[in-house]
Amino acid sequence: MAELRGSFGEQPHHILTSDFGTPDLHKLSVYESKGGYTALRKALLDMAPADITNDVKTSGLRGRGGAGFATGTKWSFINRDAPGPKYVVVNADESEPGTAKDRYIMENCPHMVVEGILIAAYAVGANQAWVYIRGEYDEPHRMLTEAIAEARTKGYIGPKPFGKDYPLDIRLYRGHGAYICGEETALLESLEGKRAQPRSRPPFPAVKGAWGRPTLLNNVETLATVPAIINMGGAEYAKLGTAKNPGTRLLTVSGNVRKPGVYEVEIGKTFRHVIMELAGGPPEGRKVKVFWPGGSSAPVLPESMLDMTTDAEALAAAKSMGGSGGVIVMDDSHCVVKAAHRLLQFYAHESCGKCTPCRIGQDWAVRTYERILANEGSQLELDILQRVSDGLQNGRCLCGLGDSGGWVIDSTLRHFREEYEDHALRHTCNVGKVAVDATSPLVGRTDA
Amino acid sequence: MKLSPHVLEEIKELPAKYPQPRSAVMPALDLAQEEVGYLTPEAMTEVAEALQLDPGYVEGVATFYTLFHLEPIGKHRFYVCTNLTCMIRGAYELVDHVKKQIGVERPDKVSADGLFSFEEVECLGACEYAPMMRLDHRYHYDLTAEKIDALIAERRSSAAEPATRPHPAAAPPTSPASGEVKKPRAPRRKKKASG
Amino acid sequence: MPDVNLTIDDHKITVPAGTLVVEAAKTIGIEIPVFCYHHKLDPVGACRLCLVEMSPGPPRPQTACTTPVSEGMVVRTQSAMAVQGRADILEFELANHPLDCPVCDKGGECPLQDFTFRHGYPISRIDGPRLHFKKPIPLSDKIALDRERCVLCYRCTRYYDEIAWEQELTTDERGVQSFIASQFDQPLKSIFSGNIIDLCPVGALTSRVWRFESRPWDMTHTESVCSRCSVGCSVTLWQRRGQLVRVTSHENDDIDEGWICDRGRFDYTDVNDASRLRTPSINGGRSTWADAINAVAAGIKGKGAKLGISLPQDITNEEAFLFRKLLDGPLKGAKVKMHGRTAIPAPAGDAGRAQGALPNNLKINEIDDARVIVVVASDLEDDVPIVDLRVKKAVSKRGAKLVVVYPDGVDLDRHPGTLHIRNAPGAAAAEVRKLASHEWLRNPGGLVAILFGDGHGSEDIKDLTAACGELAKKVGGKEMALYRATNERGALAAGVAGWDKLDGVESLLSWGPPPAAGIPKSARFVAAWDHLPREGYDRAVVLPATTFAERQGSYTNLEGTVQFLRPPIPVPPPLKEGWELLCELGAALGVALDYDGILPIQRAIGVQPPAPEPAPDPVLVGPARP
Repeated sequence: MAELRGSFGEQPHHILTSDFGTPDLHKLSVYESKGGYTALRKALLDMAPADITNDVKTSGLRGRGGAGFATGTKWSFINRDAPGPKYVVVNADESEPGTAKDRYIMENCPHMVVEGILIAAYAVGANQAWVYIRGEYDEPHRMLTEAIAEARTKGYIGPKPFGKDYPLDIRLYRGHGAYICGEETALLESLEGKRAQPRSRPPFPAVKGAWGRPTLLNNVETLATVPAIINMGGAEYAKLGTAKNPGTRLLTVSGNVRKPGVYEVEIGKTFRHVIMELAGGPPEGRKVKVFWPGGSSAPVLPESMLDMTTDAEALAAAKSMGGSGGVIVMDDSHCVVKAAHRLLQFYAHESCGKCTPCRIGQDWAVRTYERILANEGSQLELDILQRVSDGLQNGRCLCGLGDSGGWVIDSTLRHFREEYEDHALRHTCNVGKVAVDATSPLVGRTDA
Repeated sequence: MKLSPHVLEEIKELPAKYPQPRSAVMPALDLAQEEVGYLTPEAMTEVAEALQLDPGYVEGVATFYTLFHLEPIGKHRFYVCTNLTCMIRGAYELVDHVKKQIGVERPDKVSADGLFSFEEVECLGACEYAPMMRLDHRYHYDLTAEKIDALIAERRSSAAEPATRPHPAAAPPTSPASGEVKKPRAPRRKKKASG
Repeated sequence: MPDVNLTIDDHKITVPAGTLVVEAAKTIGIEIPVFCYHHKLDPVGACRLCLVEMSPGPPRPQTACTTPVSEGMVVRTQSAMAVQGRADILEFELANHPLDCPVCDKGGECPLQDFTFRHGYPISRIDGPRLHFKKPIPLSDKIALDRERCVLCYRCTRYYDEIAWEQELTTDERGVQSFIASQFDQPLKSIFSGNIIDLCPVGALTSRVWRFESRPWDMTHTESVCSRCSVGCSVTLWQRRGQLVRVTSHENDDIDEGWICDRGRFDYTDVNDASRLRTPSINGGRSTWADAINAVAAGIKGKGAKLGISLPQDITNEEAFLFRKLLDGPLKGAKVKMHGRTAIPAPAGDAGRAQGALPNNLKINEIDDARVIVVVASDLEDDVPIVDLRVKKAVSKRGAKLVVVYPDGVDLDRHPGTLHIRNAPGAAAAEVRKLASHEWLRNPGGLVAILFGDGHGSEDIKDLTAACGELAKKVGGKEMALYRATNERGALAAGVAGWDKLDGVESLLSWGPPPAAGIPKSARFVAAWDHLPREGYDRAVVLPATTFAERQGSYTNLEGTVQFLRPPIPVPPPLKEGWELLCELGAALGVALDYDGILPIQRAIGVQPPAPEPAPDPVLVGPARP
């Protein structure tokens, strides 16, 4: 495996990553020597399921996949006493551009994920968990397969984990290349062997999820945090971070920075700390121009907002979001319009095609960007971009993929209007190095 | 090319592993693609029959997902990420280099020797190692033109050697492409002071 | 559950709980445009066209087609948010839509056109190339697909999956590149394929049989009954210039729920055949009606068993009644063979009455409420296709359990819960008798629907009928005998559904097309009432016949419901109605059949007179099927 780039080693705020870097941490014996599986034992033998859920509620843990929904509350939506099977489904489909944290966890400490899954399953009354892992993640898949096999041999996965009469099982399911599978209900459709198109909600997965059964869906990092919460207690975890957004999270910092990596950060630190101190800032002679605070789907923030804190509330007030924690930094040698074009190509390529605004709108935006970047633009093209952006937001689309495309257009237009006007109205680009690439290899005109 | 009895048997055993049999279609297509190299209409029909589904249904699923290929892709496919982070760290230049070195202009074409093809892909979740790509079920980080040249040369020379590869049907579906020796893990660097 | 009160656009209304907002709005005539929503399919909220403002609710528009009403809800379809939302979605739909209206068959009955006029922006901002696909693609020899016009509402693929339980129609690719395709580009084979034409809200799926035939406003239409099989689905027959131009479905929730099969939808072109017989003829030479009728009478009178009569599967009740009179009189003793009938005997109690009123007679709409459905000795998809769909609906949408007793695989096997007992041919009755002790039938928890056919002759029908009757009594079931011929039940009631062999007859009267086995070689005199010329008619007395598109009359379907034909085309002179001709033939044979209209005949049969003609739909306003 490649060298670790990111957080590891003991630090007060390294809740997840303190043991990362230990040789063979992926092996069950090493994981246990570091205190692994004590949380699972405690949960199964010393706690009632409702207490586990309450502890998670107290911790203030919020989903780390992107939506940031209160995890404990989500767990409480599953009616533990309803008859019939329930499932835990783990969203390991990490595909948000700029995000590598789940891969980081699964490659370095897969047992932490396994332990979190088993605790969650017990808390919500599920006996079987399915990990939906993106097809490109060969190495994490291999690591998880081995970890699950080890846990099975040890009996932690099986009919009587720690002697408790509560069967637990984890199965793996591989995705095959579709960003939309990161959306909860699309993931469930894919798990059922169908084209991954999101469902109308309600009903929500907690009521009718995988194969029609009540289902808890959580992100890898969210579940990986659970053992720590059980070990230290929810109240203790809540002391870190901010009042409304407690804890730590893994931020993937990438792009034009000297030390890209997956950094565990106490929520509430500033982006300046994350980008300039942890990741070393932009290369020599360059300045930060723009950054995406939470994956490409988070509305962009300009350099002037580097002192923004990383908690959800502050970001919401700035009309952005924490999202997946994928911090992408772009310096002043790159063109924002070109970056936006590339991202809209991404959304157009990944759009599932179910709902009209996303299916048509993303592609229409791409074609409009092409015209602008080919120096064929005018005020009309700028108006069209704004119109598409408005048409993609505010509940028009069936799921968040549509909104994300709209936010890229909207936020870059808002903060970098002059660059857009340079291209569209003045047919020029004032950024240092730019290759005006007007072709779209991923989304072309087809003849079916 | 028809699916081998061994693979068909594996496919037929899949539905029992899932709460509902339809879920077996994705892993089944995976097995078929591993054996044939890509998903031909015949392979998809065989998968459908083995799972008692309609071929049209299977086709609809296969065309939805990027990792299912319905056209020949050669033995080694370069999946090069060109999403935002990799793009601003030079991914497009590397794609051009790959295209030149393997002699292929478009993602739906294969090199003359049948060994190579390429595709620009979206974020592969390894942004701290950008620019990067996926090749033969492995990630390759901090790409340079030299690294790419080395990877190509390696595969060209092993293709020229006489076949001592294990039979494709014997390899588990998640292992790297047959013929490749698993490399030992790189030793970890010393701990950094910060982070 | 109690009814729900809500407000839509300041109108206070009360509707049953569970009603979707889009349906609630319809009750007071408020149109919320939809593409993907269809009242017979599960709602998906895909097209986003039905966005309206709802409170209480988030500050975003919601889809009216997926939201059920709730007490005190306030819905606004005309607020700025809703109006702009709809206009935006329509603009998106039109972004890639080709400017095909002048050459598109949907024009004039197209929801996309109508909604754009009523809800869309008046000016297009779309400039630049649109997405192109090869077009039109023949999905089969009957249906054409235009991928550029397609708005990807998925009604067609959802219909196939939910209603027909088939997936030969699929969506390929993803995002804006998605398109509808038949599997591996093979022609569609399903007998249910044609319904996608009616479902499609744009001109993407069109009938090749009707291609470029007419604009909707140039046609008139009637709601009639299909004459291709015993189910008797409601159909709409469209005529232009005296031609039957097309057949579409017409929703009758008691029988077909708006679906028809491809036989009924596409097998009508013989009505317009240029070689249709127009005048009576004797041995190939033109003749008057009087001469021809007399020649027929002379050729069939007093022959007893040497006369063979072939009757069509779609003989009307009125014609059957008149034939009975002839067979009781001057044609007594004749051999009678009816096309296409099963071996199933008449339902007990039916004899002499066209309407059945059996104590345990199962009606098609009762299948919806069955808890267990038993299908014996029939491949429903082949024999009674639309009943097949009704059974599928009961199983997949209403949780009924399904048992099939049949030697071969059937399409109902696609459901994993189907219990299929593969009997040896001839052993169906024995299997049925075993079923009474099956765990599903010991405590069915409701109605048991027993549908039985004759296995196309492979079963002992008397034994099977008895076995099904016993089962029904034991488990609280109702039975449906799966007659196949269009008016088999009516003909049985009139006593003319003959089963005799026609070999060796000297005279043949063929009412309708000739016998399936051909005109018997022994026949020295042949008379036919037919609409097309056939081999051997140059040596026969031929009377030109009306088709189902012109004739009046009634059929009794397999559940015993009498339904009336409503022809869109008046009988073209000099043709006569069948009943009229039979009366004149009767007179020539010496029996007085003094009926001066079809109503007196129907009164004589004891049938209810037909309902008055419904007011025709104004074709110019509104889509045929939004």
